[in-house]
Amino acid sequence: MSDLTMQHLTTEELELWAQGLLGAARTMHLTECTLCLAEAEQERRLHLALAQLPLFAPRAGFADRVMAQVKVPKTSGGFRA
Amino acid sequence: MVAWAKEGHEAAFRELIRRYERPVFALVYRMVRDRALAEDLSQETFIKVLNALASYNPDYKFSSWIFKIANNAAIDHLRKKDLDTLSLDGAPDADTPEALKATQLQIGSGGESPLDEVASRELGGAIERAIAKLRPEYRACILLRFVEGYSYEEIADVMEIPLGTVKTYIHRARNELREHLADRRPETPPARGP
Repeated sequence: MSDLTMQHLTTEELELWAQGLLGAARTMHLTECTLCLAEAEQERRLHLALAQLPLFAPRAGFADRVMAQVKVPKTSGGFRA
Repeated sequence: MVAWAKEGHEAAFRELIRRYERPVFALVYRMVRDRALAEDLSQETFIKVLNALASYNPDYKFSSWIFKIANNAAIDHLRKKDLDTLSLDGAPDADTPEALKATQLQIGSGGESPLDEVASRELGGAIERAIAKLRPEYRACILLRFVEGYSYEEIADVMEIPLGTVKTYIHRARNELREHLADRRPETPPARGP
Protein backbone atom coordinates (compact mmCIF):
# COMPACT_ATOMS: atom_id res chain seq x y z
CA MET A 1 0.00 0.00 0.00
CA SER A 2 1.27 3.51 -0.82
CA ASP A 3 1.47 6.34 1.75
CA LEU A 4 -1.53 7.99 0.10
CA THR A 5 -3.63 4.88 0.57
CA MET A 6 -2.65 4.43 4.22
CA GLN A 7 -3.38 7.92 5.54
CA HIS A 8 -6.83 8.54 7.08
CA LEU A 9 -9.00 10.91 5.08
CA THR A 10 -9.12 14.51 6.29
CA THR A 11 -12.38 16.36 6.86
CA GLU A 12 -11.96 18.15 3.55
CA GLU A 13 -11.34 14.85 1.78
CA LEU A 14 -14.46 13.31 3.31
CA GLU A 15 -16.45 16.28 2.02
CA LEU A 16 -14.93 15.84 -1.44
CA TRP A 17 -15.69 12.12 -1.38
CA ALA A 18 -19.33 12.79 -0.47
CA GLN A 19 -19.51 15.10 -3.49
CA GLY A 20 -17.86 12.51 -5.72
CA LEU A 21 -14.82 14.73 -6.20
CA LEU A 22 -12.10 12.84 -4.33
CA GLY A 23 -9.26 11.48 -6.43
CA ALA A 24 -8.94 7.76 -7.03
CA ALA A 25 -5.71 7.37 -5.04
CA ARG A 26 -7.27 8.70 -1.84
CA THR A 27 -10.58 6.97 -2.46
CA MET A 28 -8.67 3.67 -2.42
CA HIS A 29 -8.06 4.22 1.30
CA LEU A 30 -11.74 3.53 1.93
CA THR A 31 -11.33 -0.02 0.70
CA GLU A 32 -8.74 -0.60 3.43
CA CYS A 33 -10.06 1.44 6.38
CA THR A 34 -13.43 0.62 7.95
CA LEU A 35 -13.16 3.61 10.29
CA CYS A 36 -12.84 6.09 7.44
CA LEU A 37 -15.53 4.25 5.52
CA ALA A 38 -17.94 4.70 8.43
CA GLU A 39 -17.01 8.40 8.59
CA ALA A 40 -17.47 8.73 4.86
CA GLU A 41 -20.91 7.11 4.97
CA GLN A 42 -21.97 9.51 7.73
CA GLU A 43 -20.70 12.39 5.63
CA ARG A 44 -22.65 11.15 2.62
CA ARG A 45 -25.84 10.89 4.67
CA LEU A 46 -25.33 14.45 5.88
CA HIS A 47 -24.76 15.74 2.35
CA LEU A 48 -27.85 13.93 1.12
CA ALA A 49 -29.95 15.36 3.93
CA LEU A 50 -28.68 18.89 3.27
CA ALA A 51 -29.17 18.53 -0.48
CA GLN A 52 -32.81 17.59 0.06
CA LEU A 53 -33.64 20.65 2.15
CA PRO A 54 -36.74 22.28 0.69
CA LEU A 55 -36.63 25.69 -0.96
CA PHE A 56 -38.59 28.38 0.80
CA ALA A 57 -40.08 31.55 -0.60
CA PRO A 58 -41.68 34.59 1.00
CA ARG A 59 -45.38 35.32 0.50
CA ALA A 60 -46.54 36.52 -2.90
CA GLY A 61 -46.11 40.26 -3.39
CA PHE A 62 -42.76 40.40 -1.61
CA ALA A 63 -41.19 42.45 -4.42
CA ASP A 64 -44.05 44.97 -4.32
CA ARG A 65 -43.71 45.37 -0.57
CA VAL A 66 -39.98 45.96 -0.92
CA MET A 67 -40.30 48.32 -3.87
CA ALA A 68 -42.84 50.42 -1.98
CA GLN A 69 -39.99 51.42 0.32
CA VAL A 70 -37.15 51.69 -2.17
CA LYS A 71 -36.08 54.92 -3.84
CA VAL A 72 -35.21 54.23 -7.45
CA PRO A 73 -32.64 56.78 -8.63
CA LYS A 74 -33.51 58.94 -11.61
CA THR A 75 -31.01 58.85 -14.40
CA SER A 76 -30.51 62.60 -13.77
CA GLY A 77 -29.15 61.77 -10.28
CA GLY A 78 -32.28 62.46 -8.24
CA PHE A 79 -34.66 59.90 -6.79
CA ARG A 80 -38.23 58.84 -7.49
CA ALA A 81 -40.44 56.95 -5.08
CA MET B 1 -28.01 43.91 -13.49
CA VAL B 2 -26.73 46.05 -10.59
CA ALA B 3 -25.30 48.59 -13.03
CA TRP B 4 -28.66 48.72 -14.80
CA ALA B 5 -30.42 49.26 -11.47
CA LYS B 6 -27.98 52.04 -10.59
CA GLU B 7 -29.05 53.79 -13.79
CA GLY B 8 -32.56 53.97 -12.39
CA HIS B 9 -34.37 51.09 -14.06
CA GLU B 10 -37.08 49.79 -11.78
CA ALA B 11 -37.19 46.53 -13.72
CA ALA B 12 -33.60 45.89 -12.69
CA PHE B 13 -34.49 46.40 -9.03
CA ARG B 14 -37.31 43.91 -9.39
CA GLU B 15 -35.05 41.42 -11.14
CA LEU B 16 -32.54 41.63 -8.28
CA ILE B 17 -35.36 40.94 -5.83
CA ARG B 18 -36.62 38.04 -7.95
CA ARG B 19 -33.16 36.47 -8.09
CA TYR B 20 -32.39 36.71 -4.40
CA GLU B 21 -35.72 36.69 -2.53
CA ARG B 22 -35.81 32.89 -2.17
CA PRO B 23 -32.23 32.25 -1.00
CA VAL B 24 -32.22 35.28 1.30
CA PHE B 25 -35.57 34.35 2.79
CA ALA B 26 -34.57 30.69 3.18
CA LEU B 27 -31.36 31.63 5.00
CA VAL B 28 -33.13 34.03 7.36
CA TYR B 29 -36.06 31.66 7.92
CA ARG B 30 -33.75 28.83 8.94
CA MET B 31 -31.86 31.21 11.19
CA VAL B 32 -34.85 32.65 13.09
CA ARG B 33 -37.38 29.81 12.51
CA ASP B 34 -40.35 32.17 12.34
CA ARG B 35 -41.96 32.81 8.96
CA ALA B 36 -43.40 36.26 9.63
CA LEU B 37 -40.23 37.47 11.28
CA ALA B 38 -38.10 36.02 8.49
CA GLU B 39 -40.19 37.89 5.96
CA ASP B 40 -39.80 41.16 7.90
CA LEU B 41 -36.03 40.72 8.20
CA SER B 42 -35.72 39.74 4.53
CA GLN B 43 -37.76 42.77 3.51
CA GLU B 44 -35.56 45.04 5.65
CA THR B 45 -32.51 43.47 4.04
CA PHE B 46 -33.66 44.21 0.50
CA ILE B 47 -34.76 47.74 1.37
CA LYS B 48 -31.40 48.45 2.98
CA VAL B 49 -29.43 46.96 0.10
CA LEU B 50 -31.44 48.52 -2.72
CA ASN B 51 -31.49 51.96 -1.12
CA ALA B 52 -27.70 51.77 -0.73
CA LEU B 53 -27.05 50.52 -4.23
CA ALA B 54 -25.18 53.71 -5.15
CA SER B 55 -22.48 52.78 -2.63
CA TYR B 56 -22.17 49.19 -3.87
CA ASN B 57 -18.62 48.19 -4.78
CA PRO B 58 -18.72 46.05 -7.94
CA ASP B 59 -15.43 44.39 -6.96
CA TYR B 60 -17.46 42.56 -4.33
CA LYS B 61 -20.07 39.92 -5.21
CA PHE B 62 -23.59 41.32 -4.94
CA SER B 63 -24.83 38.03 -3.50
CA SER B 64 -22.16 38.17 -0.78
CA TRP B 65 -23.24 41.69 0.10
CA ILE B 66 -26.92 40.86 0.40
CA PHE B 67 -26.25 37.65 2.34
CA LYS B 68 -24.02 39.61 4.70
CA ILE B 69 -26.79 42.12 5.43
CA ALA B 70 -29.37 39.33 5.80
CA ASN B 71 -27.16 37.22 8.06
CA ASN B 72 -26.31 40.22 10.25
CA ALA B 73 -30.02 41.02 10.59
CA ALA B 74 -30.77 37.46 11.68
CA ILE B 75 -27.82 37.22 14.08
CA ASP B 76 -28.64 40.63 15.59
CA HIS B 77 -32.21 39.51 16.15
CA LEU B 78 -31.13 36.25 17.80
CA ARG B 79 -28.66 38.04 20.08
CA LYS B 80 -31.27 40.62 21.05
CA LYS B 81 -33.76 37.85 21.78
CA ASP B 82 -31.23 36.15 24.04
CA LEU B 83 -30.72 39.39 25.97
CA ASP B 84 -34.48 39.87 26.31
CA THR B 85 -34.89 36.44 27.89
CA LEU B 86 -31.93 36.55 30.29
CA SER B 87 -33.48 38.17 33.34
CA LEU B 88 -35.24 35.94 35.84
CA ASP B 89 -37.30 38.98 36.83
CA GLY B 90 -38.72 39.44 33.35
CA ALA B 91 -37.75 41.89 30.65
CA PRO B 92 -36.34 45.19 31.95
CA ASP B 93 -38.97 47.19 30.10
CA ALA B 94 -41.89 45.14 31.43
CA ASP B 95 -43.88 47.64 33.50
CA THR B 96 -47.00 45.64 34.36
CA PRO B 97 -47.44 42.32 36.21
CA GLU B 98 -48.79 40.82 33.00
CA ALA B 99 -45.74 41.86 31.02
CA LEU B 100 -43.42 40.52 33.72
CA LYS B 101 -45.24 37.20 33.74
CA ALA B 102 -45.10 36.98 29.97
CA THR B 103 -41.36 37.53 29.83
CA GLN B 104 -40.73 35.18 32.76
CA LEU B 105 -42.52 32.46 30.85
CA GLN B 106 -40.02 32.78 28.03
CA ILE B 107 -37.13 31.88 30.29
CA GLY B 108 -37.91 28.20 30.45
CA SER B 109 -38.12 27.91 26.69
CA GLY B 110 -34.37 27.93 26.16
CA GLY B 111 -34.55 31.12 24.15
CA GLU B 112 -36.64 29.56 21.39
CA SER B 113 -40.00 31.13 20.78
CA PRO B 114 -42.76 28.63 20.02
CA LEU B 115 -42.85 27.84 16.33
CA ASP B 116 -46.03 28.72 14.55
CA GLU B 117 -47.92 25.90 12.93
CA VAL B 118 -46.50 26.50 9.44
CA ALA B 119 -42.92 26.75 10.65
CA SER B 120 -43.38 23.69 12.82
CA ARG B 121 -44.51 21.71 9.79
CA GLU B 122 -41.92 23.15 7.41
CA LEU B 123 -38.94 22.96 9.76
CA GLY B 124 -39.92 19.81 11.57
CA GLY B 125 -37.72 17.36 9.66
CA ALA B 126 -34.74 15.71 11.34
CA ILE B 127 -32.14 17.71 9.45
CA GLU B 128 -34.02 20.99 10.01
CA ARG B 129 -34.21 20.29 13.74
CA ALA B 130 -30.52 19.42 13.78
CA ILE B 131 -29.68 22.67 12.00
CA ALA B 132 -31.80 24.58 14.51
CA LYS B 133 -29.73 23.20 17.38
CA LEU B 134 -26.52 24.67 15.99
CA ARG B 135 -25.10 27.95 17.27
CA PRO B 136 -26.28 30.74 14.93
CA GLU B 137 -22.77 31.28 13.55
CA TYR B 138 -22.40 27.57 12.79
CA ARG B 139 -25.88 27.52 11.28
CA ALA B 140 -25.09 30.40 8.93
CA CYS B 141 -21.84 28.76 7.83
CA ILE B 142 -23.42 25.40 7.14
CA LEU B 143 -26.34 26.92 5.22
CA LEU B 144 -24.08 29.11 3.10
CA ARG B 145 -21.77 26.18 2.39
CA PHE B 146 -24.19 23.35 1.72
CA VAL B 147 -27.40 25.09 0.67
CA GLU B 148 -26.03 28.09 -1.22
CA GLY B 149 -22.84 26.36 -2.36
CA TYR B 150 -20.49 29.11 -1.19
CA SER B 151 -16.77 28.49 -0.93
CA TYR B 152 -15.06 28.83 2.43
CA GLU B 153 -13.47 32.10 1.22
CA GLU B 154 -16.85 33.52 0.22
CA ILE B 155 -18.32 32.58 3.60
CA ALA B 156 -15.43 34.37 5.30
CA ASP B 157 -16.33 37.47 3.26
CA VAL B 158 -20.03 37.27 4.03
CA MET B 159 -19.57 36.69 7.74
CA GLU B 160 -16.51 38.92 8.10
CA ILE B 161 -14.55 36.28 9.98
CA PRO B 162 -11.15 34.73 9.21
CA LEU B 163 -10.98 31.78 6.83
CA GLY B 164 -9.64 29.55 9.62
CA THR B 165 -12.66 30.38 11.75
CA VAL B 166 -14.98 29.39 8.89
CA LYS B 167 -13.21 26.04 8.63
CA THR B 168 -13.49 25.50 12.37
CA TYR B 169 -17.18 26.45 12.45
CA ILE B 170 -18.03 24.16 9.54
CA HIS B 171 -16.02 21.29 11.01
CA ARG B 172 -17.82 21.61 14.35
CA ALA B 173 -21.21 22.16 12.75
CA ARG B 174 -20.79 19.14 10.53
CA ASN B 175 -19.83 16.97 13.51
CA GLU B 176 -22.81 18.20 15.50
CA LEU B 177 -25.18 17.59 12.61
CA ARG B 178 -23.83 14.11 12.07
CA GLU B 179 -24.22 13.36 15.77
CA HIS B 180 -27.81 14.62 15.77
CA LEU B 181 -28.61 12.54 12.71
CA ALA B 182 -26.79 9.48 14.05
CA ASP B 183 -28.71 9.75 17.34
CA ARG B 184 -31.86 9.04 15.41
CA ARG B 185 -30.53 5.91 13.76
CA PRO B 186 -30.97 2.48 15.34
CA GLU B 187 -27.35 1.61 14.65
CA THR B 188 -24.66 4.17 15.32
CA PRO B 189 -21.43 3.67 13.35
CA PRO B 190 -18.31 3.30 15.53
CA ALA B 191 -16.25 6.40 16.31
CA ARG B 192 -13.04 6.67 14.31
CA GLY B 193 -9.76 6.34 16.23
CA PRO B 194 -6.82 8.73 16.03
